[in-house]
Amino acid sequence: MSWHEMEMRTVYAKTLNELIAENPDVISLEADLGKASGTFPEVSSKNPGNFIDVGVAEANMIGISAGLASEGKIPFAATFTCFASRRVYDQIYISCAYANNNVKIVGTAPGLTQGSNGGTHMDFTDMAIMRAMPNMHVYAPADAYELRAVMKHMAKTKQPTYLQLIRSKEPRLFDDNYVFNPDKAVILREGSDVTIVSTGYMTKSSLKAADMLAADGIMAEVLHYPSVKPFDEIALVASASKTRKVVSVENQTIIGGLGGAVCEVLSEKCPTRVKRLGIPDKFGEVATEKYLYDKHGFGPVNIVEACKSI
Amino acid sequence: MYEELLESWSNEKADELAKEFRFVITDMICRSGSGHIGGALSLVETIISLYWRIMKVNPKEPRWDGRDRLILSKGHAGPVLYAALAYRGYFPMQWLTTLNRDGTWLPSHVDQIRTPGVDITAGSLGQGLSCALGAAIAGKMDGKDHNVFCIVGDGESDEGQVWEAAMFAGHRKIDNLIAITDYNKMQIDGTTDEVVTLEPIVDKWRAFNWEVFEMDGHDWDDINMKISAAIAVKGKPAMIIAHTIKGMGNAAVEGQVGSHNIKIGDKTAYEKYIKALGYECRLPYGEE
Repeated sequence: MSWHEMEMRTVYAKTLNELIAENPDVISLEADLGKASGTFPEVSSKNPGNFIDVGVAEANMIGISAGLASEGKIPFAATFTCFASRRVYDQIYISCAYANNNVKIVGTAPGLTQGSNGGTHMDFTDMAIMRAMPNMHVYAPADAYELRAVMKHMAKTKQPTYLQLIRSKEPRLFDDNYVFNPDKAVILREGSDVTIVSTGYMTKSSLKAADMLAADGIMAEVLHYPSVKPFDEIALVASASKTRKVVSVENQTIIGGLGGAVCEVLSEKCPTRVKRLGIPDKFGEVATEKYLYDKHGFGPVNIVEACKSI
Repeated sequence: MYEELLESWSNEKADELAKEFRFVITDMICRSGSGHIGGALSLVETIISLYWRIMKVNPKEPRWDGRDRLILSKGHAGPVLYAALAYRGYFPMQWLTTLNRDGTWLPSHVDQIRTPGVDITAGSLGQGLSCALGAAIAGKMDGKDHNVFCIVGDGESDEGQVWEAAMFAGHRKIDNLIAITDYNKMQIDGTTDEVVTLEPIVDKWRAFNWEVFEMDGHDWDDINMKISAAIAVKGKPAMIIAHTIKGMGNAAVEGQVGSHNIKIGDKTAYEKYIKALGYECRLPYGEE
């Protein structure tokens, strides 16, 4: 089975096993959500010595990860995005980022992909929280191949990092030759009329919207950001200088995340009209993805509308 | 300095060093204008015992892999650790005059990035025991024989994360982890019994599957005996409840709830805190 035919969480777990085989210092940590992250039993059975399940104790998981990292281990600590970010903000801030300990935080089931768990579990703020933290890198890969490349990069670099992990199977965008560079955005489609900037889960929707726009004769440039921090300013400024219109799309609040980064860069370096699509300062709720896309206005149809009306 | 104490321990010589520590801690806090004096002074004998009598360390190579680790989870007690690190030769004595000054290497709360010899950054309370647990697990994974010591505050023990770490360390039988509670029985808003009682503290830790000892945190022989016994424990983590006195040895703050963090506004206040030590002490920094 090819990587893109698997759920992303399966890819995450299998890639962790590969990383452990290459470097036994790589450790998988869970807080009683190993089944949700895909590591239980995939990692726990194949590499039990490199698997730690701390129970329902996320703060302890982050502290243990920091202690492991201080001893040269490379911990990947995973749980739902809501618990991986807002619940342990101070633990990550002090024990990981401020102390510059090489901890990889993995937030699974981001944004509206939490589905039936509803508003309590739906976190729209993880990227904004993590992006505001000095030392922290923030990555959101869009498909299985990119996820693997990002994880390989994470295992090789000494860098506190937040990885947003989509659990579901995602359409293929890349292949085995994909090389991840945190300083570079990926130009998925060139165009001259409008720039669509997206990351992680929303990139497939951006491409769909670009197809719909092309049918109407509008050529959209699609910039995909696997790394929201560091943020490739050069690619954005180059594209905005050409199209003069930018639409950002993200599976989280439009405050402080990708859209925030886009506006910060453009307002200082290339004043451009920007429309931010995502969750507009609202909490989540139990609902289907379609309902939430429609309600908050950032599905493919909404992206098309935004590109036409901006 | 005090190398002879490393070669051959004597309680009398250790008393001299403890006096010097109390002077240095009071002096550095006075120089900076404020600081966490009470919880630093309560740890003087424990820290001296660890650095002169118990822990394997190499000041010339602070991150020497074979060293015992010390994680000061109650990170605000930095001054007592800085005194030990300076006197053991991790950095020049002169640094002790720079606590909290602009650009200092000695911040009020311990910082592994800034200060040689600090193993883990702490100060946002409750996090250090988890970090110590991670370091201890890493040691076990690699088959190493060093120990990880962690000093937790009694007020700090109000934090839930302490008990998350307690439960997991007991569950995993992490016996290279030796924790010490600095039980001076005071926190910022009052005594621990007034704010949130920790009693029955021994039963609590035992219930979490730790071996528990109690020691007089100002008695050299008791400290040595109990920490040695804790190191010898196999098959479970060890907690030592150190009965201490907040602000110990400085009459201006000793046993007072208000000693957590003092402000020293002027020379008169400085003289008050120095005189309250009750003994003459030379300046160790080569200055008048």
